[in-house]
Amino acid sequence: MKLIAGVDIGNSTTEVCIGQMDLEGHIQFCSSASVNTTGTKGTVSNVIGIEKALAIALNKIDKNISHLTEIRLNEAAPVIGDTAMETITETIITESTMIGHNPYTPGGEGIGIGITIPLDKICFTNCNEQYIVLIPETVTYEEAARVINQNIDKINGAIVQADEGVLINNRLKKKIPIVDEVQFIEKIPVGMKAVVEVAAQGKTIKQLSNPYGIASIFGLDAEETKYVMHVAKSLIGNRSAVVIRTPKGEVKERVIPAGALFIQDTNRTIVKCNIDEGAQSIMEKINALGIIEDINGEPGTNVGGMLNKMKDGLAELTDRKMEDIKIQDLLAVDTMVPLDVKGALAGEVSMEKAVAIAAMVKADKLPMEKVAQTLEEKTGIKVMVAGVEAVMASLGALTTPGTKLPIAVLDLGGGSTDAALLDENGTVRSVHLAGAGQFITMLIDSELGLNNLSLAEEVKKNPVAKVESLFHIRMETGEVIFYEKPLAPKLFGKVVVITEKEMIPIDKKISMEKIVHVRQKVKRKVFVQNAIRALGKIAPLENIRNIPNVVLVGGSALDFEIPELIMEELSNFNVLAGRGNIRRTEGPRNAVATGLIMSFAEGQI
Amino acid sequence: MELDERLLEEIISRVMREINYRSEKLSKNNQKLNYKSVFEEIGIAKPSVDVKEVVVGIGPAFGITLHKTLSGLSHVDVLKEVLAGIEEEGMTPRVVRVTRSSDVAYMANQVAKLSGSGIGIGIQSKGTAVIHQKDLYPLTNLELFPQAPSITLDIYRQIGKNAARYAKGEVVTPIVIPNDLTVRPKYQVKAALMQIKETELVDRDGQFIEISTTFQKGSA
Repeated sequence: MKLIAGVDIGNSTTEVCIGQMDLEGHIQFCSSASVNTTGTKGTVSNVIGIEKALAIALNKIDKNISHLTEIRLNEAAPVIGDTAMETITETIITESTMIGHNPYTPGGEGIGIGITIPLDKICFTNCNEQYIVLIPETVTYEEAARVINQNIDKINGAIVQADEGVLINNRLKKKIPIVDEVQFIEKIPVGMKAVVEVAAQGKTIKQLSNPYGIASIFGLDAEETKYVMHVAKSLIGNRSAVVIRTPKGEVKERVIPAGALFIQDTNRTIVKCNIDEGAQSIMEKINALGIIEDINGEPGTNVGGMLNKMKDGLAELTDRKMEDIKIQDLLAVDTMVPLDVKGALAGEVSMEKAVAIAAMVKADKLPMEKVAQTLEEKTGIKVMVAGVEAVMASLGALTTPGTKLPIAVLDLGGGSTDAALLDENGTVRSVHLAGAGQFITMLIDSELGLNNLSLAEEVKKNPVAKVESLFHIRMETGEVIFYEKPLAPKLFGKVVVITEKEMIPIDKKISMEKIVHVRQKVKRKVFVQNAIRALGKIAPLENIRNIPNVVLVGGSALDFEIPELIMEELSNFNVLAGRGNIRRTEGPRNAVATGLIMSFAEGQI
Repeated sequence: MELDERLLEEIISRVMREINYRSEKLSKNNQKLNYKSVFEEIGIAKPSVDVKEVVVGIGPAFGITLHKTLSGLSHVDVLKEVLAGIEEEGMTPRVVRVTRSSDVAYMANQVAKLSGSGIGIGIQSKGTAVIHQKDLYPLTNLELFPQAPSITLDIYRQIGKNAARYAKGEVVTPIVIPNDLTVRPKYQVKAALMQIKETELVDRDGQFIEISTTFQKGSA
């Protein structure tokens, strides 16, 4: 009787499977385990993780490492991925023409038109004019209210530096619209015509978010109205806003010269692709080319720097020269990033367009032999490097009940999306694409503005809920869950991520709906797009419809919604797809390790 | 157990002693009400069902025997800022003096139970503050501000705002407070003395006293 271990070293996890073979060559699977990969995939530091995983798996069946006959390592696919992002637009306000922010609590309601004037000058004005008063932080709300009340007939609105809109409003005889929390109030030009609009609670402004609305207030002609389009656009969805007319002021959306990508294929054709054309155009060009040799960025531009930084990091990781690093695949995704508006007076944030890029680099061959040697020396057990990862994964995936040849395996990993097709003749076609779990984490982080990758990782993997009281939460599905004991006070009123162990509060003003929307959108953009791309490349005659069944494996196949999103899309091609269930017990995990043991059995017969 | 005459006598005399003690204490308390408070007291506070309400609970000595916090901020100013914060968020502030305890957590938790929204703020005379919720255990809290000398008037305004946001069920970002390591050695003695002064006025059977939110009575 022989005890064999299959070991699969992945970018993020190391999985082992223990099998027992009797004298007739029948394999019986005994145990399995999974631990985090120690060090970079394919380096000697992996050994620590392997030993740990073996010990866990063997312990389950009361054995130890010395009982093993052979340890089989996979010939890991030598691909390493990295991600980066660059914004391609920015919004600039010149000459302080507009304030379009959403203070939590503006005061009053309605539209007020008048000439801007500091509060302390209001008493010196005549009664024939209408004014908008500017109230700096140094004036208390009681004093501000008193002065406004004295001059209520000539004041139509107020702009306040401190967060005191409601406080002032509550003390006024007549209701006027008040925009507060305007940080740089001293920069507002005095003596200019201005409009203040505050919408009723639960509504958004109407007049100032409409270019014709602004035109009718300021009496603009057709040419001038064209220029206020950006002003109106950036005010959409706000509850309060101020627009001031100055001779030269305007709001611009500037496109940053982001640079171009040069994509070179194996026929030495080079295609130039501008980043600011957006992700869709980049992907079309990449997909149209055959096998990609290398991708470079235009030197001296944002994207050039971005790709160089990526290559530099990968060169360091694989201990090679930067010139030798070739990018073999690239996934570009359009995204929105919340950025501070330049020249803004109230810390306004605008959603800027950005392109996020995941790139994949092929190494010559990872030094797996070295890992094997070290492991053999340490354990005294024969260690073999056996089989290509794609083949092993297909073999393992075949143990899923209900599958047959030809079978396609879609490995949704952390660093790359890999696909392999195993047909009846035993030939395997495989492909590795850039963009997977880590890329999704980065996109969620930037699009929600979390600035916290570990929190973004949890948001990716788990559903969210809103804590409505200390005794009940409302899940994103609308379902309500009650608790016997009060929840932790730090969760009160928060949107929380429900992980298996705990609830993690998100200390930002982001609604539950927004989180769900962004999470699903990003997953679609990355995995659904990559699934179609990958299957298209390995499918017979490059037609996805020729693949009868697809098994999803890998860490991201454990995700609670990614498999469903992919299934939904693949059902359009009439392809049977589903989450793998390796050996009926393992779910989408352990495919490669299982495949390694099966290949051992075949070798023996 | 045998219930003879002597035992009965003993019980009666003990009960009488207790009753006398209580009435003595009560009369002492009534004297306490003669203390000069800078705040206008308008009666006994009752639980409310107004969900827009946030109740601020102040300590037994707040504005009576003590008038300034550890860092020298006037109690009137402190209370005014907290109320302004609540008002700015569109909620209704209410002020209640707690006499049963000088512990900030119990004060806050007790007033949270009077509050229609279930949210209460506790402020001790020395300036320590806490935001509480009625369903929480007293020694837990939503947000605690333990270093009284580090709390400025702006932060007191923020405390009012955050409490109101909890009451509205919004996502609240906790207030960031600078942590000053020298606070303890600098203020420990003063803090202890102030706490003793506050605790002197504690009456375990005391009432919750409603305080007028306009509280303009003399000093400002």
